[in-house]
Amino acid sequence: MTTTSAKLLKLALPLVKNHGFTQEVLSLSALSLPTPLANPLPDASVTALFGPGDDACRTLVHAWLDDARRRMKEESTEKMGMGDVLKARLKSNEPVLEHLPEAFALLASSPLLPLLLLPVDPAPIIKHTAQVSNQACWIAHGDVQESSWYTRRATISAIYLAAELHQLTSPKTAPAFLDLLLENAEHAGKALDETAFFCELCLEELERDCKEFWGV
Amino acid sequence: MLARCRFLAANALRPSIRTITCRASDFYTDPSKNQELGVSTSPDISPKQREILDRALRVDQAGEIAANWIYRGQFAVLGRDPRVGPLIQEMWDQEKLHLEVMDKLQLQHEVRPTLLSDVAKVTGYALGAATALMGKEAAMACTEAVETVIGEHYDDKFSQLKDFELLPSSHPSIPLLRDVIKEFRDDELEHLDIAVEHHSQRAPAHALLSAVVAGGCKVAIELCKRF
Repeated sequence: MTTTSAKLLKLALPLVKNHGFTQEVLSLSALSLPTPLANPLPDASVTALFGPGDDACRTLVHAWLDDARRRMKEESTEKMGMGDVLKARLKSNEPVLEHLPEAFALLASSPLLPLLLLPVDPAPIIKHTAQVSNQACWIAHGDVQESSWYTRRATISAIYLAAELHQLTSPKTAPAFLDLLLENAEHAGKALDETAFFCELCLEELERDCKEFWGV
Repeated sequence: MLARCRFLAANALRPSIRTITCRASDFYTDPSKNQELGVSTSPDISPKQREILDRALRVDQAGEIAANWIYRGQFAVLGRDPRVGPLIQEMWDQEKLHLEVMDKLQLQHEVRPTLLSDVAKVTGYALGAATALMGKEAAMACTEAVETVIGEHYDDKFSQLKDFELLPSSHPSIPLLRDVIKEFRDDELEHLDIAVEHHSQRAPAHALLSAVVAGGCKVAIELCKRF
């Protein structure tokens, strides 16, 4: 991406809440330049800078999502738990909530779909939730390692996806829904840990019995 | 007479001098240094540089996990041997320190750990135990082969400098990382020397055993770079 298109994308982000994820926003971003143009960018310029049709809109969606992730990190504090981090991320959706279903539909309607033989392409949405989950885990659970690193992220990714979908239909209850999901995940995690601990104790007992039997 | 006194004084001082010298890994193991920039922050680098750093630290961490479990397996079999047991314990303790530092480096630079950490543990333990069951010399041959590959891996990273040249030295974490890698390389080569001194080359089918172990290590390194 060129410096010019990166600058215009950055200027386009505040316009999304009023105009949606459209080529119009990219066109209007030229009016926000430090030395603004007299008129918005023509369609040909938008196409040249950001790609044709839906490609330009997808570029804008990706830029908005990247910016939201960057803000997650910048606005986080040391004492924030996972719930606080994810709620802050959900809150950043609020100004553009009415445009998000269209944005996600754009992401899911990949140009590669005819080759995939699928009605929708889930990969961009999964990538989005995985990136949010990764950022949230680094902020709130920075000390998790090895296989727990992956299981934790997969869990948070699924929780965030469910909470964000809930937010699209019922924005006011989304934080409470998120809390419920996190609580359930914590209970499930504790149950698994206790099961693992019990299995460990059983194995140790079995090892002791075997050693006694063989006279070791 | 005076020269002999000077020599004895120098020898008497050498252990003290060694303890005064600060190892690079001390920055990660000393809690009083936790807040230093070189230990607590990561440089702002391009995606390509980030990928290089990510890959390098992932492989190094995976290697230390495997090394720990190899020594654990060897100790499970040969731990009670009066000659080899304490030796394996000493080398294992050093690897534990390496792993502790690698874990902190992984968190500091927000690196994705390898997906194969559990595989590394199981295969490491199996390798260590199996070679220990073959005998003390075979255990030492396994150590020799593993430490040769790991030592070469660290040395390539350090001497070629191809990867590290792309990382900015202006941030204090990068020169510290270089020093840590150099220190670990020296430790691994010391383990290699210990293994050879303890008759690794007398192991049955030494050449075949070394080739198999070294080949396995190289495959593991390539897999951990990606996964």
